[in-house]
Amino acid sequence: MSSVFSFQAVSDGIVMNFRSGSTFGSIKEAVSLHASQASDFFNGVNLYLNLSGLELAFEQLQSLMEIVQNYNRVNKIYFTAKEIKSENKETVPKSEAVIINRTLRSGQMVKNQANVVIVGDVNPGAEVIAGGDIIVFGRLRGVVHAGAGGNEAAQVAALRLDPTQLRIASFIARSPDDNHSSDLDPERAFIKNDSIMVEKI
Amino acid sequence: MAGKTIVVTSGKGGVGKTTSSANIGTALAMNGKKVCLIDADIGLRNLDVVMGLENRIVYDIVDVVENNCRLEQAMIRDKRYDGLYLLPAAQTRDKTSVTPFQMKELLDNLKEEMDYVIVDSPAGIEQGFKNAISGADRAIIVTTPEISAVRDADRIIGLLEAEGLRDPEVIINRIRADMVDRGDMMGIDDMIEILAIDLLGIVPEDEGIVVSTNKGEPIAINQKAKAGLAYRNIAKRIMGEDLPIMKLEKEGFLSKFKKLVGLS
Repeated sequence: MSSVFSFQAVSDGIVMNFRSGSTFGSIKEAVSLHASQASDFFNGVNLYLNLSGLELAFEQLQSLMEIVQNYNRVNKIYFTAKEIKSENKETVPKSEAVIINRTLRSGQMVKNQANVVIVGDVNPGAEVIAGGDIIVFGRLRGVVHAGAGGNEAAQVAALRLDPTQLRIASFIARSPDDNHSSDLDPERAFIKNDSIMVEKI
Repeated sequence: MAGKTIVVTSGKGGVGKTTSSANIGTALAMNGKKVCLIDADIGLRNLDVVMGLENRIVYDIVDVVENNCRLEQAMIRDKRYDGLYLLPAAQTRDKTSVTPFQMKELLDNLKEEMDYVIVDSPAGIEQGFKNAISGADRAIIVTTPEISAVRDADRIIGLLEAEGLRDPEVIINRIRADMVDRGDMMGIDDMIEILAIDLLGIVPEDEGIVVSTNKGEPIAINQKAKAGLAYRNIAKRIMGEDLPIMKLEKEGFLSKFKKLVGLS
């Protein structure tokens, strides 16, 4: 992620923080690039632009607004100047994860900017999308997308890896048609040499 | 008397919600309970037909919520069993004629008088389903050993949890031991593993269901039918008895022979 801005998840959306003192030119360039690559990740999300520490002319603000609207299907865009407290400076650190303590059933979806850990099964028809890794302490039978922002280092691990479809960054794989047994057999999937590899843990 | 409201639902159509509602209600009444069956499938009513009470409908559920009649006037008393009632759906209206709030109010009134109120939910997850589950204390999910039905059941369990209806129980309907043995049909364990909820009972595939539906006599009345026994057991489990789940039996030579000569 660019060092000009960073993201921070809040209860009802995502805050976009800008490094104080960044020039408008660098912000414009970095955000346009990110928005064009973000695909549908911001679908239905409220986006808060934290402008504290920035000095923008009115025209620059207008131009910034136009750029952030390029985030596909973003819900509402707000401006804020509040200092949002966070223990970590890096807002999507590798260690951050949302933990779901239940089974995801058909029709249910979990979406997170960072990592997702599910303690339970992911049933067929359920969907998990994460900017980082996806770990399932249970049977994974639904659709998962790790590294949804384009992070090819993301991985998917499950006690039983039998997804309907498994996506990492822009790569897609599906489970073999045979062997849908329900025995636990921990495996993880990751990208190597431009394809999705699966190995036992 | 403050009874329990139980919604019977499935997501997928044609898996046996109405048949199960009719038989569970009948079997509960056979055990001396006071039961009201409610058909929440407004516009596509069937429960009255399955119960054989179609020709006695004067008022229906929409008349009750619109205050065209009193609740007692719309409730049809089943003459076969004391304490068995049916509140039919309207056939000429649609699901929007009742709101979840009205439904809850109706159920809250009704369960004061009853031991059990059984709500037969329509298929789908739209307004009709939302009406049917509002005000329910307990949910029974009916499914069949087909992937599509199990998938829909799973979706329904998730939706029920979101509405605060926890720990639903499942009835596996139309199961065939011979096909399960051959590996051509999902087994009970496979289904329970995915759904991860308690099994309330299994109902074997039974041709008698078609006959009883057409005659308007719930199969629970039939002491000889396997499916009838299955529903009577389910009713007892609902009442809190701890009965083992029936063993799946293959049709043996003897019973085939009996059928041939018309003994069974």
